[in-house]
Amino acid sequence: MNITSLTDYIIERLPEIWQRIGEHIFLAGISTMTAVLVGIPLGILAFYRPGLRGPLLGIVSILQTIPSLAMLVILLALFQKIGVIPAIVALILYALLPIVRNTLAALQGIAPEIIEAARGIGMTEWQRMRLIRIPLGIPVIMAGIRTASVAGVGIATLAAFIGAGGLGEFINRGLALSNTRLIFLGAIPAALLALLVDLVLGFIEKVCDPKRNRHWSHRFHFALKLSIVLIPLFLLIPVFISSPPWSSQTAGSSERNETKGINVVRIASKNFTEQLILAEMMAQMIEKRTHLSVDRKFNLGGTIICHQALKRGEIDLYAEYTGTGLMAILKLPAMNNPDEVYHRVSEEYLNRFNLVWLEPFGFNNTYTLTVRKQDAVQNQWKIISDLIPMSSKLVAGFSGEFQERPDGYPGFQKVYGFKFGEVHDLDPGLIYQALAKGAVDVIDGYLTDGRIPAYNLISLTDDKKFFPPYYAAPVVREEVLNAYPDLREALAPLGSLIDNTTMRVLNYEVNGNRRGVSEVVTEFLQDKEVL
Amino acid sequence: MITLDQVSKSYDGVSRVINNLSFEVLEGEILILLGSSGCGKSTILKMINRLIDPTEGRIYLDGKDIQQQDPIELRRSLGYVFQGIGLFPHFSIRENISMVPRLLGWPEDRINNRYRELLELVQLSPEIHADRFPDELSGGQQQRVAVARALAADPAYLLMDEPFGALDAITRDSIQQEFLDLKQRLNKTIIFVTHDIIEAVTLGDRIAILHEGRLEQIGTSEEIMENPATDFVRELFAKSVKFWKGFKNIS
Ligand SMILES: Nc1ncnc2c1ncn2[C@@H]1O[C@H](COP(=O)(O)OP(=O)(O)OP(=O)(O)O)[C@@H](O)[C@H]1O
Ligand SMILES: [Mg+2]
Repeated sequence: MNITSLTDYIIERLPEIWQRIGEHIFLAGISTMTAVLVGIPLGILAFYRPGLRGPLLGIVSILQTIPSLAMLVILLALFQKIGVIPAIVALILYALLPIVRNTLAALQGIAPEIIEAARGIGMTEWQRMRLIRIPLGIPVIMAGIRTASVAGVGIATLAAFIGAGGLGEFINRGLALSNTRLIFLGAIPAALLALLVDLVLGFIEKVCDPKRNRHWSHRFHFALKLSIVLIPLFLLIPVFISSPPWSSQTAGSSERNETKGINVVRIASKNFTEQLILAEMMAQMIEKRTHLSVDRKFNLGGTIICHQALKRGEIDLYAEYTGTGLMAILKLPAMNNPDEVYHRVSEEYLNRFNLVWLEPFGFNNTYTLTVRKQDAVQNQWKIISDLIPMSSKLVAGFSGEFQERPDGYPGFQKVYGFKFGEVHDLDPGLIYQALAKGAVDVIDGYLTDGRIPAYNLISLTDDKKFFPPYYAAPVVREEVLNAYPDLREALAPLGSLIDNTTMRVLNYEVNGNRRGVSEVVTEFLQDKEVL
Repeated sequence: MITLDQVSKSYDGVSRVINNLSFEVLEGEILILLGSSGCGKSTILKMINRLIDPTEGRIYLDGKDIQQQDPIELRRSLGYVFQGIGLFPHFSIRENISMVPRLLGWPEDRINNRYRELLELVQLSPEIHADRFPDELSGGQQQRVAVARALAADPAYLLMDEPFGALDAITRDSIQQEFLDLKQRLNKTIIFVTHDIIEAVTLGDRIAILHEGRLEQIGTSEEIMENPATDFVRELFAKSVKFWKGFKNIS
């Protein structure tokens, strides 16, 4: 790519880049500040109560070892909410350890002669804390805050998984579309932001050090400088509250969305290309064919997150696959007949969750094992059972979801009776590339993925009919369908509109030809004359 | 007047660092606590200030049992020069000196007058030294500041724990001389800890000689030199007495 097109690419996205940076600072800033407000008192408490020290430090240390995504999902379950709140809580929990630990270390680290003198001239416990321990401990406490802040800017990129925005949004989208430019669009500003935070806090740390910086400082000066940095951060808070980043996908609709979805339909997607295309397709149909406006909450971190959000009424619809609904959500045994699955799923969803399955889009995006075409030709692999003789030597790269689901690898091993030599956990967005580059030999590919032909890969036939049908269809809250009767009509033309090949082509337009999702969708819908 | 009545202290519950100690500090005198390292001198001062509590016995300040008093108020009413100075490194000289008056809630202008007065009293310049920080002063200047801080709220009693330790001989001589002048003007009751016999004899109205937590002898330097009460005292003074007599003859 040449420089001009790269500059254009960035300039085009500049408004969103600023918005995401803003959200990112908001997420990292507010969580670090809260962690400071909570962590310093906890450190002081631990200092005064040696009995609490072990348990307290133990808890904050354990919190920090929880993998970030797991933490987000746990909080999601706890708060029953997607978006900013669980993301901020997760960030706060991560930030606590360095702050509590450094506060305690700072308070303990003051020379005993100084403390004895403070006691000896008649300072009370609180005066010793306020006048001696805290000022002398500030460099160490600040170092903890700095560590927490820099880490916070990094971890905040994960907030996008649960729809909280931030620079992770680009990274997520980039991963979903295997688009490196998009990944960099998020990763580079995030790294620069972390660097900047490190520099600024490093500076404050120096200014705060009562030993290093006394003449042009003095607490007054230092307070002044601290507020120069902190006040803008605090000023950001009202700005964000008036236009909350969690509804910023469509700026115009954000306010109405706040009043619980009046005239706004909130459409979600999981974090891979096909989902983005389907969600965008539904969004455009609704925007064009109804008076409703659409709030796009795309790129949520997986089936469970989408389903939970739908059940709780935080989103109104997304495209789900019949097989996923049957097994991952309803936990029912596998079935082979596509119609049976669809009917069973529709019925159960309506009874259990008041969710309605509309007519399927037409294609079947089942999982299947996918290999390099070259290997397939060489070893004469056509069906999955052909892999058996070599299976122990093959390295598999599976998405996390595939490894866990009963209709994924666990069930697969039972039905086919073999395992692979090694299995790596890979991000769904990177899986095809990993196979094409030779990092792994077998992946769980989607039948409709445009990257299968693009990377010269081939899907093996499911000879034991293990993988259930995965027909995609819009799943909508019944309440919303009743409230907006024209919604069903607006989406009706999408029924049976897309077969497997068409879906592969659409996916490839986005993944392979690097075209924008909305552009591809508009073109397709106009071509089919449904818009 | 400070009275110690059969005071004992044990840190570990087994061995006694201070053993059944009784003596009085008279109004307006400098009483020297003299003894070798580890004999319990600092422990005595800390008990008077209630930084630590005696295991047994009572301490009275002007006849009142200090255990009945609020420790914070007690400490603010006693000037204390700590062994190893104990200035606050993050406060300027002015703030260090003003600390106790500030804790006592003095009005700002009174504090301002006071720290200047005190700096001049200990031969430092308010203009040059007030806004410096402790580590920007020489060791001797720091010790003067420590004395000034102890005097800040004009306490009736001063507890001084080797205030002129760690100084070279020349500086120490001059600072001791200043201290004697100062003492004349201030009229305070002072307990002064040292392990240096010359300093004890030079500064003390009376000297209490301690050995392993016990009082060996208390009296004026003449009394002790004429009539050493124990072998320990005799040996302690054996060398110094000759020196001292020579010194007196010269002057
Ligand atoms: N906090 C403490 N815990 C246990 N033992 C202590 C403590 N403080 C002092 N001691 C012991 O008590 C004894 C007397 O100590 P103290 O500090 O009173 O001695 P000192 O006469 O002031 O000595 P120096 O001239 O070296 O300052 C020493 O043996 C010391 O080890
Ligand atoms: Mg001592």
